[in-house]
Amino acid sequence: MKQKAVFCKKMLAVALVAMASTAVPVAAQTFVGAFDVGPAGNAQKFNPLTSSAGFSFFNKYFGTLTLYDVSLQKISGDLAESWSYTKDSKSLTIKLRKGVKWHDGRPFTARDVKFTLDLIMNPELATVFAPRLAEVAEIKVPDDLTLVLLLKSADVTLPDAFTNIMILPEHLLAKIPAKDLRNSDWWKNPVGTGPFKWTKYLPDQYVELEANKDFYRGAPKLAKMINRYFKDGSSAAIALQAGEIHHTYLTLDQLKDNQSNKNVDVVSGPSHVLNYIGFNNSDPRFKDLRVRQAILLALDRQSIVKNIFAGTAELANCVLTLPKFVPADLNKYETNAAKAKSLLAEAGWEKLSGGEPVELLTYYSDQGSKDVMATVQSMLAAVGVKVNPRFVDPPTYAQIAESGKFSMVFAGQANGPDPSVLNSVLDSNYAPPRGLNRMRVSIPEVDKLIEAGKGESDDGKRSAIYQQLCRVTNAQLPWVPLWVANRFGGNSKNAVGVIWTPAPGGGRYQDYPETWSLR
Amino acid sequence: MFNYLLNRLVVNIPTLFAILLAVFLLINIAPGDPVDAFVPPSASLTIEQKEILRHELGLDRPLPVRFVLWVKQVAVGDLGYRYKDGTKVISEIAQRVPPTLMLAFAGLAGGSLLGIVLGIFSARRYNTAIDHGLSLLAYLAISCPAFLVGILGLYVFSLQLGWFPAGGYSTPGRDGWSDIAYHLILPAAALSVQFVAILMRYTRAGLLEVMTQDYIRTATAKGLSSRAVILRHAFPNVLIPLVTVIAANFGALIGGAVFVETVFSWPGMGTLFLDGIESRDYPLIMGIALFMAFAILAVNMLTDIIYSWIDPRITLR
Repeated sequence: MKQKAVFCKKMLAVALVAMASTAVPVAAQTFVGAFDVGPAGNAQKFNPLTSSAGFSFFNKYFGTLTLYDVSLQKISGDLAESWSYTKDSKSLTIKLRKGVKWHDGRPFTARDVKFTLDLIMNPELATVFAPRLAEVAEIKVPDDLTLVLLLKSADVTLPDAFTNIMILPEHLLAKIPAKDLRNSDWWKNPVGTGPFKWTKYLPDQYVELEANKDFYRGAPKLAKMINRYFKDGSSAAIALQAGEIHHTYLTLDQLKDNQSNKNVDVVSGPSHVLNYIGFNNSDPRFKDLRVRQAILLALDRQSIVKNIFAGTAELANCVLTLPKFVPADLNKYETNAAKAKSLLAEAGWEKLSGGEPVELLTYYSDQGSKDVMATVQSMLAAVGVKVNPRFVDPPTYAQIAESGKFSMVFAGQANGPDPSVLNSVLDSNYAPPRGLNRMRVSIPEVDKLIEAGKGESDDGKRSAIYQQLCRVTNAQLPWVPLWVANRFGGNSKNAVGVIWTPAPGGGRYQDYPETWSLR
Repeated sequence: MFNYLLNRLVVNIPTLFAILLAVFLLINIAPGDPVDAFVPPSASLTIEQKEILRHELGLDRPLPVRFVLWVKQVAVGDLGYRYKDGTKVISEIAQRVPPTLMLAFAGLAGGSLLGIVLGIFSARRYNTAIDHGLSLLAYLAISCPAFLVGILGLYVFSLQLGWFPAGGYSTPGRDGWSDIAYHLILPAAALSVQFVAILMRYTRAGLLEVMTQDYIRTATAKGLSSRAVILRHAFPNVLIPLVTVIAANFGALIGGAVFVETVFSWPGMGTLFLDGIESRDYPLIMGIALFMAFAILAVNMLTDIIYSWIDPRITLR
């Protein structure tokens, strides 16, 4: 009997050792990242034209005409070597880089760019980039490496739009009709111009890329790059700490564990996503400016940033947050509950609201946001504004916001790197269903400033226009601006040369993946 | 036997139909449009684009028409295509079946075996300190939700001790059963914790009840060792409730163990289902609901057959 038990134990030990020895770490130069964890990720969606996130990973095997630098301030060319506008900003000439080849060996030409842009403007594809190209009237291709875009009216925001648009091969996709392209199997076996090329995809497991030896900036140092799928962000964080992966997104509460881990470097940066409390501006309860001011004054934003965000957020006082668009003479709305109460009394809030609570809707589901909602509820209750928090999932939120049947929302809005991303959100002509102005903002001066900003090519004058937009939204408060939170990422200390910064939707900046390597 | 099966089949078809109709109605009534699920709340499609998408996906047709069309499709074996990226629903489901079955089987078999052994052990030492200790552990195990056990397991065994990989189905770049089995150990263990507790309690209670029967006294009086009495006479009479519990749980696990799969990034049916629900992917949701309903009804039938084998007094009619 005892011998049997000992024998069993020995067999078990042998089996375990045998299994453990087969799970030896992968080939030395394979970088494994959880690129699609977090709000900028777009797990297992592979059509870059119909996506609004996940660009960090798309950049590894596709190319764009332009890219920002890592601080998201300056645009330089990637597939485009140079570009120039005519004086009236109604025509844009783009010169493309020479010697770029698709992963299948065919040469990259201007026809591929025209094909991609035409595809985006085709309503059958249903892409969120179509409004960015709304001013493009015609695209001419005078030679293989030059494009001329003729615009209906001045639009200087195209180089920013191009940072988001992956160029696709005309010779492979032209024969597929646009509506079949949306869900085509081609996306799971794509051909791009990026430093890595697609090898295989195992659903719910990972996507594997291998080095593109003919890449135009030189062959990558890494042999393979893998995008591992994680449904749960905390599992990805644990895998990073255990040394199994080399990169992932980290939340605030995962930060401490990873900062003290000797294998991990933590990177942080502003998210460029403004958190705000939005009003349904066509709701009579919120028409009085004093009500909106009172709601902002009732909130002790400093305290929320200190206690819920551990100081990792910056207060915002208008719809823009990039320093060059924020003038010094803004009203800082320091918290003042007494003033809030008197403003509400002046505006007759009791009568306006009829004593009924107001619904505060959100699509956020993380603990930090729940804490924020609860805190906001209690701060507003202290001045007499009763609020009922309501948590729904993103598709439900989208449906409610579009229909206009809401009162207040707690949401986030990307406002960078270029402020033109706010055009459709603030312009009174773009209320749903036409566009994204779900808060039904209607301020004539805002409309004028948006138009002016689209066409102003002089950098100094453009900054001045947006500074004015900031002043107007600071005074008129169509939204109650709250803060811009930092976002975090973790990189393995064994990974050399990795460049990463938080950006809305990910990617859009030059991160030189061909220079990354592992120790 | 054949008549029995035929009968059950005939009874199950309306049940299946009713389940599918209910699921269809519920997902369509739920707020949130599949077309809105294509983009996050900070982006939007124009109304023109949305109409094109809705027409393509067949969402502009009335509900009854859509349901009838779906049933007709299914009758010829076509489960349709996902809204998300046009992959065939049936291939998505088929791909998730092996990992799901692996996890379900490993977790359930391991947990049940250990649970039964501990239950017998506990019953034989009724009212001793060991018995009470095991009962306490059982209560603890039942109270711990699967995701808690999973994350704790991941933290302790993968991160701190480094004994097991931190989730995933296989190491990227390697194929081979031993690699997959290595990845299976932790999630299966996390899943099995609950079953150990449940089976232990059922076995113990069943045995304690059976042990008071007269035929047990006869067997002991005949001179059989206590081990033979338990294994050959007492335990078989406890099998029926155990089979019920195991079968019921197996049926449920075929739909995927969502929490364990999420924590361990195990590519099973649960995460697929969750993904479908989050993105309002109606064809996928209906396809998985059909698969799960089928599986559970099949398992129920199988269980009835197993009952008739275990207990000769039960006849199938």
